[in-house]
Amino acid sequence: MLRFFLTVLLLSTAAASAAAAAKPQRVVSINLCADQLLMRLADPEQIASLTYLARDNSMSNLAETARDFQANRGLAEEVMRYRPDLVLAGRYTKRVTVDLLKRIGVTVLELDVPRTMEEVEAQIRLLGEALGQEARAERLVGQIAASMKAAAEEKNASQRPTAIVYEPNGYTVGAGSLIDELLALAGLENLASEKGMQNYGRLPLESLVALSPDVLVVGTPRGLPSLATELVRHPVLSHMPRPMHIAAVPPRLWACPGPDMFAAVDILRQAAAEARARP
Amino acid sequence: MTDVTFAPPRTEISYRALLAGLSLAALFAFLLSLAIGYGQLDFAAALADVLSGRDSLGALVLLEIRLPRALLGLFVGFALGLAGAVMQAFLRNPLAEPGIIGISGAAAFGAVLVFYSGLAAASSLLLPVGGIAAALVAGLLLFAVAGRNASTATLILAGIAVNSLAGALVSLALNLSPNPFAATEIMFWLMGSFADRSLTHVAIAFPPIAAGCLALFATARALDALALGEDTATSLGFDLRVTRILLISGVALAVGGAVAVSGAIGFVGLVVPHILRPLVAYRPSLLLPASALGGAVLTLAADIAVRLLPTQPELKLGVVTAIIGAPFLFSLVWRLRGDMR
Repeated sequence: MLRFFLTVLLLSTAAASAAAAAKPQRVVSINLCADQLLMRLADPEQIASLTYLARDNSMSNLAETARDFQANRGLAEEVMRYRPDLVLAGRYTKRVTVDLLKRIGVTVLELDVPRTMEEVEAQIRLLGEALGQEARAERLVGQIAASMKAAAEEKNASQRPTAIVYEPNGYTVGAGSLIDELLALAGLENLASEKGMQNYGRLPLESLVALSPDVLVVGTPRGLPSLATELVRHPVLSHMPRPMHIAAVPPRLWACPGPDMFAAVDILRQAAAEARARP
Repeated sequence: MTDVTFAPPRTEISYRALLAGLSLAALFAFLLSLAIGYGQLDFAAALADVLSGRDSLGALVLLEIRLPRALLGLFVGFALGLAGAVMQAFLRNPLAEPGIIGISGAAAFGAVLVFYSGLAAASSLLLPVGGIAAALVAGLLLFAVAGRNASTATLILAGIAVNSLAGALVSLALNLSPNPFAATEIMFWLMGSFADRSLTHVAIAFPPIAAGCLALFATARALDALALGEDTATSLGFDLRVTRILLISGVALAVGGAVAVSGAIGFVGLVVPHILRPLVAYRPSLLLPASALGGAVLTLAADIAVRLLPTQPELKLGVVTAIIGAPFLFSLVWRLRGDMR
């Protein structure tokens, strides 16, 4: 019995040191945000499969690149077909699949949803380490830090127009979220966090009208309608006594942590400038 | 046509008092619905702004957000209560109701097709057209399968079939939509809600609801005659084919128009006629206006309730009406269980 345990112990430590030495060679991602970081950090040969969402232009910033890889729908059986040595998943999505994969002994790295720039950088470094691509991770972190520095220098801190992010179904983003930080970087004052809203919450249309921000940040239309995306077309929003400036940010830019967040900051800075120019 | 004379209800006055009471209750619920919401709104000041035409934020909230909601509660509830009363009288079936026999579900499917395909974005008028067309097909199908003198069980089984199919097709259509939010919106279509609807929705739903209600009210005297039996009604000069056409088109217009903007709200047409029937001496023609007003009261009250309950996000209206209505349905089934065999 003791010998059995010792063997298991030896084998598992051997496996662990081998994993540390060698880069994982068959990485499967079942999360859209992980897909994009994986494409930026890993060698193409390391990637076994990405989610089918990664190929969708409206959701992914690297849709073209994603087409070079096989697509999965995040089902355990599909994942196992690739005999992965590392599976990337989100902390809050596909919980049942992740539990199943862990139970059958697959190495799963769960990526949290970063709430600050520091957490974004930490996540990139963590993933770089797991992939054996530390140098590339450092380069990406450096690129993000440089964009942040540039944005901070450009922002007009003296006069900050107010803004509300209005997502489908009337959800808005408050303090303690990455998007709140990006709004600040663009020189906007997030009214939702001013009003004490934490992270992510629903803002009834009535409250939005009462807050009456200078800039309303909405997603871009996605072609076919849904009730969720129709809400920003409610007539009350076009009848406001002081019309709001509408800034359309494609959700793919800031839905996931990565360098594309700064394209969203550029759009927001532009909107802030236009709102300031208005009488 | 000869007028049908019945033993008068206990007193004419008590019926007038009933209608007046229901009207007052509907008016009260309507005003309460305007006064209750999420923003901090000074109701009196906002109302003064609306009346004097000032463009304040309060006036905007009252006029563009709360008024459509209250109006939809009134119209949709009115239509559902009326449709339930007419269907129960004509089909002589205590369980007949647009939701239970699948008309509402079918209307939801029609509206879903028009909305998520992008047709409704081209012209919002097409939204009720989709709901009405599908409700009409379901109505004709039910009549073809179950017929007028079908047993309660036959009608309910046909309704279950239509309902299941409609629910599955709504789900299919939403899952096929490339918009990632669509699939999560099945709750709206199968449970119903008035949240954040606009005056545009009121404007497109009102004409079909009004036309449908007129058609349904036109069946009143024939329903009285029918209460005495089909042969009696025919011998009194009522053409039941005309009544049937009025019923099917009226239900399709009223329910199809309502569901297209608010989703399928169940049980209103079942509960209200049953509660009010004893108060109008079981006379169908008297039940119709009472049941319509009662439907409006119940629907407005349920919509006020979902706004007062501290859930995040807001409850769907059909959740509240089902919590009230399902036990009611159970008690009906309990009473009917002898006849159903």
